[in-house]
Amino acid sequence: MRAIELREVSTVYEGERRPAIKDINLTIEVGEIVYVIGPNAAGKTTLLETINGLLPISRGQALVFNMDVQKNGWKIRREIGYVPQDFIAELGEPYTALDVVLMGRFGKIGVINKPTREDKTRAIESMRLLGIEDLANKPIGKLSGGQQQKVMIARALAKEPKILLMDEPFSNLDSESRGRVLEIINCLNKERNVTVMIVTHDLRQILNSSHRIIVMNNGKIIADGDFKSVFNVAKEILPHKFR
Amino acid sequence: MMWLQYAIFQRAIIGCIVTGLLMGLISTFVVRMRLTAIGYSMSHSAFAGAALGVALSMNPLITAMVFSAVTALLIGPAADKARLPIDTITSIAFSLNMALAFIFLTLSPQVGLSSEVASIIWGSIVAITNNDLIYLEILFLTTLTLIYLFWKELFAIMFDRRMAEADGINTKPFIYSIIFIIGIVVALSLKLIGGILVYSLLFNPASSTLQFLHDMKKVVILSPIIGMLSCVSGFLMSLIFDVPVGACIALISTLIFAISVALSPKRRRVIV
Repeated sequence: MRAIELREVSTVYEGERRPAIKDINLTIEVGEIVYVIGPNAAGKTTLLETINGLLPISRGQALVFNMDVQKNGWKIRREIGYVPQDFIAELGEPYTALDVVLMGRFGKIGVINKPTREDKTRAIESMRLLGIEDLANKPIGKLSGGQQQKVMIARALAKEPKILLMDEPFSNLDSESRGRVLEIINCLNKERNVTVMIVTHDLRQILNSSHRIIVMNNGKIIADGDFKSVFNVAKEILPHKFR
Repeated sequence: MMWLQYAIFQRAIIGCIVTGLLMGLISTFVVRMRLTAIGYSMSHSAFAGAALGVALSMNPLITAMVFSAVTALLIGPAADKARLPIDTITSIAFSLNMALAFIFLTLSPQVGLSSEVASIIWGSIVAITNNDLIYLEILFLTTLTLIYLFWKELFAIMFDRRMAEADGINTKPFIYSIIFIIGIVVALSLKLIGGILVYSLLFNPASSTLQFLHDMKKVVILSPIIGMLSCVSGFLMSLIFDVPVGACIALISTLIFAISVALSPKRRRVIV
């Protein structure tokens, strides 16, 4: 079954002439783990935000579980865990880490309904998976960049998503934490068949990976396959990463 | 305290308490959603409405409320349609309403700024009627109920609108509703504080509590209390010193904010 399908999708930002992604055709099956790499402004974040419907599509069609993203955005996003790039809360934010993680479940809970004890348990469990349960009652703005990144990952996991879209989830993490997050992702993928897309600049994550890799440049997918098959293209557009 | 025996002052005190609670409550949303231009835009749309009411020999408070409500209803959709920040559209609405106000005033030159329109600008708490109090109380209870029912969604939107959308919350109706409520609250509060100073209560209570609290739920509880204290003590100050009540409320609420900033424990970053 197809988890994600993009047909000739282009997305143009407001006020821009050039599309951020152009004529993208992409199919991702349920249970796949896909890495997306490419230089800055290649269209990687736009691709993720087009899939979860946060950005309007200028042309083409995006489907998630065979539902049109533009027509069923709210419904679809309740099944997608999204980790944004470089999210940093302001110092004085009046929210605890647990508040932020619990928010991940709000869409699923439905309008008017209040979070139950079970919702809170799920949120704490996802924090425990990432080793940050002791930060639950700390103000989010007082946590370090890496801790905040873990909170955002826990927020996405608390939703118990069918699809995980992660934009640079390792950028503020040390190597031990990166390994832990990868372990969790692999576990979710194996046990619950969660489909995962990870945008990363960190090629260490994919060097020994057997997963599918998409290489993007100038808003287009220029290579798609396992590490061996995309190696030459990746090396050409990201030479500094292979030194 | 002899004056408390008079119905006019009893109404004024009740008006201060309810308006303070209401303004303090919505100040949380104004500050957290960064709706900085909403205060002066709404007060000036009410001013334009009042000017029209006077020109047409209608009740200026009713036309002020209609103008505020219509402006509040249009701001959210207009911002989304134009893909501009809500504050930008609010500022455009401000200049439009000022222009309309001046045009309406020239239609009734015999009335000018010295009449009912002036009371909308400066406030006139002793003119508060029983009906005004009932409207204020109904609005307070309605606002409280809506916030209770949709707290989860508002809580997430106030943290980050885009992330709330990514989690499957349709943010538009909630943001439009909050702007609409702010419009009505401002229009109804004009009699107490007046259009010029009403926005002090739209920002100061929540800005003060945010200096101390790390818990959004406590911010929503404490801000109305600070709003109420500002209003009641401002009213008492105006009685003692015989100065305008709106100005006293603005002074007191700003003083509370200044003290909060000075004493705020939030300035240090704790390593955890």
